[in-house]
Amino acid sequence: MAVVKLKGVSRYFPVGNKPITALDKVDLTLERGEFVVLRGASGSGKSTLLNLIGAMDDPNEGEVFIHGKALSSLSDKQKSQLRSHYIGFIFQSFNLIPVLTALENVQYPLSLQRIANNEAKDRAAQALAQVGLADFIHRRPNQLSGGQMQRVAIARALVTKPDIILADEPTANLDSETSKQIMDLLGSLNRETGVTFLFATHHDFVLSRASRILELKDGHIVKDEQLQNLNLVDQIASGEKVG
Amino acid sequence: MLRLKLALLNVLRNGRRSFITLLAIQFGVISLILMGGFFASMYEGMREGVIRSQLGHIQIYQQGFNQFGSQQPEEYLIDAEVLQKVTKLVEELEQVELVTPRLNFTGLLTDGSRSLAVVVEGINPEKEALLSSAVKLTAGEDLFEEDTDGALIGDGLFKSLNLSVGASLTLMATTADGSFDARDVTAIGAISTGTREVDNRFMRMNLQHAQELMYTEGVTRLVVLLNDTKHTDEVMALLSEVFQEQGLALELRSWNDLADYYHEVVNLFDGIFFVVQIIVLAIVLLGIVNTMVMAVMERTQEIGTIRAIGGTRGEVMGLFISEAFILGLIGSVLGVIFSILLAQGITAASIMMPTPPGSSQNYPIRIFTEADLLWKNGLFGLLIAVISSIYPAVKASRMVITKALRFA
Ligand SMILES: Nc1ncnc2c1ncn2[C@@H]1O[C@H](COP(=O)(O)OP(=O)(O)OP(=O)(O)O)[C@@H](O)[C@H]1O
Ligand SMILES: [Mg+2]
Repeated sequence: MAVVKLKGVSRYFPVGNKPITALDKVDLTLERGEFVVLRGASGSGKSTLLNLIGAMDDPNEGEVFIHGKALSSLSDKQKSQLRSHYIGFIFQSFNLIPVLTALENVQYPLSLQRIANNEAKDRAAQALAQVGLADFIHRRPNQLSGGQMQRVAIARALVTKPDIILADEPTANLDSETSKQIMDLLGSLNRETGVTFLFATHHDFVLSRASRILELKDGHIVKDEQLQNLNLVDQIASGEKVG
Repeated sequence: MLRLKLALLNVLRNGRRSFITLLAIQFGVISLILMGGFFASMYEGMREGVIRSQLGHIQIYQQGFNQFGSQQPEEYLIDAEVLQKVTKLVEELEQVELVTPRLNFTGLLTDGSRSLAVVVEGINPEKEALLSSAVKLTAGEDLFEEDTDGALIGDGLFKSLNLSVGASLTLMATTADGSFDARDVTAIGAISTGTREVDNRFMRMNLQHAQELMYTEGVTRLVVLLNDTKHTDEVMALLSEVFQEQGLALELRSWNDLADYYHEVVNLFDGIFFVVQIIVLAIVLLGIVNTMVMAVMERTQEIGTIRAIGGTRGEVMGLFISEAFILGLIGSVLGVIFSILLAQGITAASIMMPTPPGSSQNYPIRIFTEADLLWKNGLFGLLIAVISSIYPAVKASRMVITKALRFA
């Protein structure tokens, strides 16, 4: 089953008296394990697309399916629960909760799922170890570097074991060295966990890690390129077992 | 656990704002407790004043007195035999401090040149001295049984007749059998009951002397004083049962039935208290709503994040309401503590109140802090805090997620 499916999705924004078309009849399917990079000029509709897939915005036309469910049929509460269980988010400005420690920030999405405190703590510590922050779990965001904060955010997105992680320019606020490290981390997490990644980015070095590149222009997908990079899709396709 | 911890951390996060919110809650709780405690002390002062100057706790009359007695008081007197029997019965109750007879009638008091209508009360001086502890002697000396023709004249009456202690007066009245008689009385002192209206046309004299003037051995009423006002209803019920058993045709009135003026004042002040409550509620509510809305605005992006990572609207609402609950709890507890301290301080300072309307005596300010008043207003503070948070919390929970996330 496709992780994400969009059928004829359009999104207009009313600006003045004639609406802006941010997305125009987009069809798209994302499979499990894909590492998809979304490119396009500013204003081409990248964020709009991510918001729709993230069940945070509704299309004016068409339908978005996540985990097989049509989003238009879900209540606000059901969408929240869908985000909680199937979608992870990584933001450009990290968006950690400043009063919570790294561990608590990662624990929080599990607490939202009403998972018991001890289990949540263990899983959060594990996720932080996975992103290389085992020694920083009791620090507050303001005691961490930008790259470390983004790692915490990645751990927070991972900890619920989502189907897909959406990232809107996750490296835009980081220097290029740190950006590369973060991209390597995401690439290896993609291979280790099989979670689908979809990100919007301007950085070209990301492309070398992508299994698929989508390009948006004026709300249309103008390019959809499968790459022969080593990635899970191929492994799954060739019947290998994913650990 | 973590969700509650987050609420607590958020409260601590902006110290100044939380402090202001706490101040608002405390202001509300303290002002209501102090005002309520002051009113309670005033009510008690009035209540005990009227009980211990005029009404006693319970009055016992001949059956029918309250309906017909004002036209023909002489027809509804308690006769000597019943008086004795009832006195014994009542005195037996452990809640009763004393019971004393009174004979009331109206007469004409004259100093030879001027005459004034007066309400006369024949009393047992020894017992009445114990019962009427709130009646103050303002001139001369107290009445004793030996002062056969002595009389205590109401303060206002004493002045308007321009009397001096020892003045000779004549009291005229219609007797129990309908004729007219007069007796000489000596003004041995002036008294104040605390109610100016009464003091302007009131006098007391020995019961026996009054009975001679009226040609009767009966009395108008028996006044019962209890050792505590809170036993009133219980003793009322007990007495009416006993009287019925004994076949005594008597009727009972409690201070509560008789203290019309007290009830009027209580109603008026309860009304004032209600208005003040609304005003305080509005001030505190606006104060908290305002700071809460600011907190919501400031944390817009955070709210968007919580929603994005799976928090429901209810979760966001719950977060802000929990924060208000924590603030409300702390604010109310502090408010109650400060109220107790302030109340004790103000009471200890014994600041004199201006004389209340209709009263002829003044008292120091006292503020009661009964448990009832404390917990009710403490709870009120907590509720205001929680209620104030509802609008901001709903606002927070209804934010458009994508907009909230873009908010910097
Ligand atoms: N809430 C909104 N109200 C009005 N117009 C909007 C809104 N959101 C997006 N748009 C418009 O829709 C179009 C697509 O915007 P979008 O944010 O998806 O672009 P983007 O590809 O993410 O750009 P960038 O690279 O600058 O982030 C733009 O023209 C934008 O102005
Ligand atoms: Mg964008």
